[in-house]
Amino acid sequence: MANVMTDQADNINKPVNPFWGSIASKFKFARAIDNAEVLKLCPIFTHLSNKELKKVSALIYERSYQAGEYLFEKGQPGTAMFIIKTGLVKVIVPGHESEAELATIYPEDFLGELALLDDTPRSASAKASEKTEALAFFREDLSELVDTYPAIAVKIMRDLAIIIGHRLKASNELLMSRGQ
Amino acid sequence: MPEIIHERRNNQPVHRVSTRILTRRIIFTVTAAVAVLTIIGLVWALSPIVLPFIIGTLFAYICTPLLNILTRRGIPRGAGILLLFAVFFIAVTLIVNQLGSFIPDERDRLVLRTRFQFKLNERYQQYMGIGAPGQKGTFVYQYLGTDLDEFMENINGMLRLNKDEQELFLKYREGYKGRPPIRDQYYEYFQKNIERLSAAEEHISADRDKGGGAAIGVQPPPSRLSSMMAGIKIWIITPLVFLFLLIDDGEIKRFFIGLVPNRYFEVSLAVFDKVNKAIGNYLRGILIECSLVATAYIFLFTLIGFEIKMAVLIGLFAGLANAIPLLGLGIAMVSGSAYALIAENVTSVLPFITADNMILAVAGCVLIVMMMDNGIFQPFVVGGAVKLHPLAVFIGIIGGSMMFGFAGLILAIPTIVVVKEMVFTLFSELKDYYII
Repeated sequence: MANVMTDQADNINKPVNPFWGSIASKFKFARAIDNAEVLKLCPIFTHLSNKELKKVSALIYERSYQAGEYLFEKGQPGTAMFIIKTGLVKVIVPGHESEAELATIYPEDFLGELALLDDTPRSASAKASEKTEALAFFREDLSELVDTYPAIAVKIMRDLAIIIGHRLKASNELLMSRGQ
Repeated sequence: MPEIIHERRNNQPVHRVSTRILTRRIIFTVTAAVAVLTIIGLVWALSPIVLPFIIGTLFAYICTPLLNILTRRGIPRGAGILLLFAVFFIAVTLIVNQLGSFIPDERDRLVLRTRFQFKLNERYQQYMGIGAPGQKGTFVYQYLGTDLDEFMENINGMLRLNKDEQELFLKYREGYKGRPPIRDQYYEYFQKNIERLSAAEEHISADRDKGGGAAIGVQPPPSRLSSMMAGIKIWIITPLVFLFLLIDDGEIKRFFIGLVPNRYFEVSLAVFDKVNKAIGNYLRGILIECSLVATAYIFLFTLIGFEIKMAVLIGLFAGLANAIPLLGLGIAMVSGSAYALIAENVTSVLPFITADNMILAVAGCVLIVMMMDNGIFQPFVVGGAVKLHPLAVFIGIIGGSMMFGFAGLILAIPTIVVVKEMVFTLFSELKDYYII
């Protein structure tokens, strides 16, 4: 995070080209750095260098949700993973009468990462509790990274596998503790 | 999720969609309608640039996987794009130059028409048994002679040289505009055509009065520079479209996906990706298939004794036309037979092929290519990705050619395939996402 912030500060201090500078720095470049900064904090992208993060941030979709709006719903095929930039998201399992809340996702957390592997239906719904900005990373963009920049794709896949492994262990431990 | 306001009026529940959602729906609907109408209007108004635009897009589609391979091998994306652009530019220049040398010029067109007219009449008389004096004709001729004669007269009317063209032919006969003199044999054909048609002299003068036939040499030809500039103005779009689509790197997609409401975000990504893949595979497959078919035609036509120049020209044309189901075979058969009709001094690698049975050889070639296409090229290259109903093919070809001429004829089927794929995928995904 510190590195990214320093890079950003360096870029801000650079002399601005009167024409291109006003376009690039104010819009595209600034947006790319912001997203890269958020991505860097996400465990799936931790091992990427700044240059690699910049490439990934060019693939990201920025979405904005109002409170009560769904990021995705249970049962729908998953296509993208979401990283929360600002706001709050609740992971819920809708029932007949009420809904069970499984988790609350805060800024810099991520959800729906299994969609990066295949399009099996979502196991829960994600609903914005307040005005939320999220970054979506599309499964097919990851597949394209495998073709174009395999080194980046391997790092993402490895971190994704580690995270899923940790969660599996945690689930096993939970099951075991309940069994005891 | 739709925001539904629940109210009670006269003790009955009333479900009312919030004003915000209603406004949003109206804005989306109006914007979509305006966008669709604008696109239709633009396509209609800019129809001359549709073909160069589509060709640029097609090449970009084909080159995208190549660009990915180059990037994977460590070549920077920018350098890869420049490399592909250079290859594209050189390939187009070479193809245009080569095709230019294959396309018959004014002299060759006059000779071809003369040869074709002579040979057509000769074969007609031969097959109908009316060549020698006193012959009554074959069984077919005795029954259908009047109609067939009329049909032949119409074809002769299209092929015959008018007075100005005849004068031009005679100039070329002596050597004109630095071109070699026309061979004696073709001059003989020319004279025989004139003799045969002397009875129809009135017809010729009527044609001339009506301005029938291409008045080659009468009107001053358009300036080479101005025609070249007109061509460049339109076709400059092709490399630019090609270049910008390769440079784009998903920005266009991101822009359109950005406009999609949150509820349809994931489904849009899925639809876009599936359609993109299907279209890319189809276009790449069809291009490879057409190239293979063209190569097969060129090889086989050369084998049965076509001049290489004609084999390449007919092979390329038939290969391109192969993008249109059924019509490709017809075009190959007709253009191949037309050449076989005027072929002389056939020197085939296969000793049993002569000028007399060359049409049969052409039919054999078309049959072989059809079997290769159905048995090898289509299953292994295109796959069973897209099947169209013959009626859709027929209507598409007619409609496309009526709206956009030759470009519409060639592009009608790929366009129908693209639309079909989009509609099917969209509905399938909307169902998967429980939206419909």
